[in-house]
Amino acid sequence: MLADALQLLLNGLMAGAVLAVPAIGFTAIYAVLRFPNFAVGGMATVGAYAGWVANTRLGWPAPAALAVAFAAGAAAGLASDRVALRALRPSRGGAGGALAAAIASVALNIVIENAVRFVWGNDPRGYDLPVYRDWRMMGLRAGPQQLENAALAAAAMAAVFLFLGFTRTGRMMRAVADNPQLASLKGIDAGRVAALATGLGMGLAGFGGMLIGLDTSIDPLTGFRVMLSVFAAAVVGGLGSVPGAVLGAFVVGVGEELSLLALPPSYRTAVGFAAILLVLSFRPRGLLGERAY
Amino acid sequence: MFRPTRRAALLGSLATPFLARTALAQAKEPIRLGTLTPLTGAGGSYGPAMVKAARAVADAINAAGGVNGRRIELQSEDDETNPDAGVRAARKLIDVGKVSAILGTWASAVTTAVAPLCWESRTMLFTVSGADSITKLPHNGYIIRTQPNTELQSMRAASYLAEGGAKRVFALSAQTPFAVDSYNRLAAVLKERGSEAVGDVVYDASKTSFRSEVDQALRAKPDALFLNGYTPDVTVILRELYRAGYEGKKFTFGYAANAKMLESLPPEVTEGLISFSPSPDPGSPAYAAVKQALGTDTPDTYSCQIHDHVSLVALAVAKAGDASGAAIHDAVRTISQGGGAKIGSALDGLKALAAGQDVNYEGASGPCDFTERGDIEGCKFRFEQVRAGKITLLSVS
Amino acid sequence: MENYLLAMAVFAGLYALMALGLNVIWGLAGMVNLGLAGFFAVGAYASALLTVRLGWPIPVGWVAAAVAAAAVGVLVALVTARLRGDYLAIVTLGFSEVVRLLASNEIWLTGGTDGISGIPGPGRAALSPISYNLLYAGLVWAAVAVVGALLARLSNAPFGRVLRAIREDEMVAAVAGKRTLLFKVQAFAVGAGVLGLAGGLYAHFNAYVAPDAFQPLVTIYVVLALTAGGTGRMAGAVLGAVLVVALQEGTRFGADLVPGVSPVQAAALRAGTIGAALIMVLHLRPNGVLPEFSRRYGGPT
Repeated sequence: MLADALQLLLNGLMAGAVLAVPAIGFTAIYAVLRFPNFAVGGMATVGAYAGWVANTRLGWPAPAALAVAFAAGAAAGLASDRVALRALRPSRGGAGGALAAAIASVALNIVIENAVRFVWGNDPRGYDLPVYRDWRMMGLRAGPQQLENAALAAAAMAAVFLFLGFTRTGRMMRAVADNPQLASLKGIDAGRVAALATGLGMGLAGFGGMLIGLDTSIDPLTGFRVMLSVFAAAVVGGLGSVPGAVLGAFVVGVGEELSLLALPPSYRTAVGFAAILLVLSFRPRGLLGERAY
Repeated sequence: MFRPTRRAALLGSLATPFLARTALAQAKEPIRLGTLTPLTGAGGSYGPAMVKAARAVADAINAAGGVNGRRIELQSEDDETNPDAGVRAARKLIDVGKVSAILGTWASAVTTAVAPLCWESRTMLFTVSGADSITKLPHNGYIIRTQPNTELQSMRAASYLAEGGAKRVFALSAQTPFAVDSYNRLAAVLKERGSEAVGDVVYDASKTSFRSEVDQALRAKPDALFLNGYTPDVTVILRELYRAGYEGKKFTFGYAANAKMLESLPPEVTEGLISFSPSPDPGSPAYAAVKQALGTDTPDTYSCQIHDHVSLVALAVAKAGDASGAAIHDAVRTISQGGGAKIGSALDGLKALAAGQDVNYEGASGPCDFTERGDIEGCKFRFEQVRAGKITLLSVS
Repeated sequence: MENYLLAMAVFAGLYALMALGLNVIWGLAGMVNLGLAGFFAVGAYASALLTVRLGWPIPVGWVAAAVAAAAVGVLVALVTARLRGDYLAIVTLGFSEVVRLLASNEIWLTGGTDGISGIPGPGRAALSPISYNLLYAGLVWAAVAVVGALLARLSNAPFGRVLRAIREDEMVAAVAGKRTLLFKVQAFAVGAGVLGLAGGLYAHFNAYVAPDAFQPLVTIYVVLALTAGGTGRMAGAVLGAVLVVALQEGTRFGADLVPGVSPVQAAALRAGTIGAALIMVLHLRPNGVLPEFSRRYGGPT
């Protein structure tokens, strides 16, 4: 029983690590732009497909393809944000309030999913990468691909933390997130920071989308499926808090896996939500509260 | 000798356009059929190929002159793998498109939701859905299903596994209407044959990872796994099984293990996977026709079934001389089974019917003989195995 | 064609009811409720089970649908009392998913993914399909009119004003002496009840309920309907619903106009067009086509 629980914990940690990447993206956008941008799901799909094209059509190895996934997510995210969402954002005094932009991002997700479907159809696609047998240590099973994904996710997270904590641009982003009025008084260009946050956030979404696809397979619904968990992770950790998103992702990931000790797998999603409800009952603003850093 | 007078000729030339127009009008009236398949949503990987297969056979029939000179006009709608969207699409097909038959509904929930619309408007419904409850609806003969029902499939699967020497079978099922039923039947038949069903796990097919479900399955130490899901989730599970180092038998439905899936996975992951599908006799001309039309040696079962749907409708219309849903309803069993000459393609059948013969259509998905309730009356199954990334035929029985 | 249009009118009416229900909870009281599909499902299954399994008359089923959903609404409101904004959103979305999962897995109760078929409809056996659709369209839109009028009344009454006050600033409303929790629970109950009624009406029109019909996508479309039509105004809710259904069905006809695309591409174009059209509406009228009347309380920036 203990071995089973440990295995589930391990599975959950690795799932959580991968979920954390798009969750950071989502929460970072929220921190700076103050609205939940659900198009993160669509960009995860875009990134996954871009990486797939780089990998299978150009023959690039995984790391290079992941970079392409990030870039594609960022580019598509910025472009679609400019066209569809910018005018509606609350920070720009968008008349609709936070609602309009969030709702529009859901509609945007539908557009992106179908754009991908238009080009590539519905068939699941796999990356051109070898599948390895799992390693077994101390009765636990861990796949090299999962470990690699977790490592890549950790690297991405570290990069984001370093960026936000130690670079000038990163600090600008945090300043705008913390206190937009003060930041603009200090001469920080809100528009530039907004673009930065969107680009970073969507790039992370694309990167995360490909990570998920490496483990499984990709189709136009890849991002949509993961969007719910990403949203949940960000909320649990505290919207706008980057470390919170990481924590939230682990809570969601581990929670879903450990639930298998007591419930059948068909109820996994339900347990994920129950865990969220539990956390929010004690901490209505998420585990780490609504802070940028 | 009759010499046409000028007056007669004049009158004749005036009358001819009228006569010609009425006859032409009759002949010009197309036979309207609708495909209702999942082009988006969870079943989205199946719909497009089905539409292609249906169009292929409709085009072939039209190219050869149609059905008694009437063209088949195929309208296609997307049911979005959602019963409500399916109902609205069916309404459009029936009320606006005026189709006499709807073909190819895939998701059991869509078929069940659309069925009342069909029998109330006397539109024939040909489906590939497998849930047992569908043919038990009060459809008055307006549903015909070319997919073997759960009972038949589970029995065959269990017999095959037991004969193949599997002693401990574990089932990994997606959450579908037949997940539980098929497992129970599997267990019962295995027990009769001296084997054992050691457990089942019903998973949520919308998830992206099934590590823990696979762990649970492997803990029961099975020597054969029955993968009762669809392409997207079975793809992921196969990967997971390989990673976990599982070396036993893997058994699934043909519709899950189609050529597209094999393309997206490395050969070592799919090696040895056995799949089974409803099948016609070996050497069936209908099956050969589908292979040729789709340009592949291993057409998926749904494409074969919808090919049969179109063919059956064409033959029924030809026999009845009337393209309404009610006419198809009355005539379909007279051309699908019985004592007529066995033919394997709609084109041959149309020629035979035109010559006044009776026919018995043997389709690409099986003999296409239907019970009163619309289920197929027993069929053979094709057992195939994946070797080095390719599907190879093992046996047909 | 008439039969089709009548059936679409019924669907538009059902969407309108759902948007009205959402309007009470979200439009007036500002509570982000993404659990619409869940309340809709509760109502649909309640009515289906009572009429199919117990043989109760259909109108009783409808009342039961509204009551059951309202009761569940009260529960959800109590459980989520402390949550605001996006936090409330995720929990209500979770509620909706739990309902769907329960419906899929608890086969003994709901028939699982097989669903419940053969749900009776008022006079269905006796009437021709087109007459039945006409009757039902009349029924549903009568419900929309009655519910809409009642809710509009409520909205202009003190109850509605308190809800709006809570929406704008709960703290202030509490300080002003209003028992905000009570009002929030009431708003949830009313909204959920309307959603449940919509569910009951749906079940008997469709003659079949299955978990697949209650996916988050339904919630998304109703939210889009309300936002596009005008949050806060009952007329806006109805207009938005008609707009969404018109888009969903109208684009079906458009697919024939685009040559040279495969069926799956046509389907993708259609769904993408719906999304793009809704984005455009939001751009042109960010507060919806029929924005709320008074912005006396000052809008959020």
